[in-house]
Amino acid sequence: MRIKAKSKGGVTTAKVMAKHPMMSYAEAEKKGKKANFITYVIAKVGDETVYEASTSQFLSKNPYLKFAFKGDHKGKEITITWSDLSGKSKTDSKKIK
Amino acid sequence: MERRKFLGLGAGILAATMVPMSISAQNYRETKIDLWKVKNEKGKPGVDAAIKALFGTDKTEEGKAKLKAPDIAENGAVIPITAKAEGASRIAVFQDANPESAVAVFDVPKNGIADYSIRIKMQQTGNVVVVAEVDGKLYKASKTVKVTIGGCGG
Repeated sequence: MRIKAKSKGGVTTAKVMAKHPMMSYAEAEKKGKKANFITYVIAKVGDETVYEASTSQFLSKNPYLKFAFKGDHKGKEITITWSDLSGKSKTDSKKIK
Repeated sequence: MERRKFLGLGAGILAATMVPMSISAQNYRETKIDLWKVKNEKGKPGVDAAIKALFGTDKTEEGKAKLKAPDIAENGAVIPITAKAEGASRIAVFQDANPESAVAVFDVPKNGIADYSIRIKMQQTGNVVVVAEVDGKLYKASKTVKVTIGGCGG
């Protein structure tokens, strides 16, 4: 996962690019493969949840997510976890600038 | 009208238009499994049905919800959109261009800012719809996105 996060003026902004084929049911049928796509993403700073999204087969491949939350979190780590339809999940962290 | 009766009437009307309380921190793939199955049929978009499946009502107003999306998407596989609504506790994105309608649901956490950007796919020209829940009411914004090359493997 590529994560970029920075705090400025009391607001922290994060940009995430997850690596995932995000294969929709239509695409899977065409390719004779199994549909699989990220279905849930959660971002935390410490114990605090700062972003939560339930996603679908209609997000682009290697999904890009941009979000923001209040607070100056410079120096802290933001942790992003996604899980997909197949039950797989991945977690990555990055220091907030 | 008698005062007591009048107050009771007001509460009744309020209850009818308020959105049922949502529990935050949920995975809608687990808690609202039907939402993701609502289809867009030819001549019968599933957007309103999907809104109802998620929020319990499809009654929306204009105003607080904002949607940023391109007028024309050269590549239907990567369409950047931004959904926002100040003070929203929940924001959802729908469209009528793909086989199913629901795209994403964001629960806005305590210090979250309801301003979310994602990139989506659309098989064909269609409407992207954002619905935001603010203080128990729903606000909607929509935009037609023209797709020149469809992006759903189709």
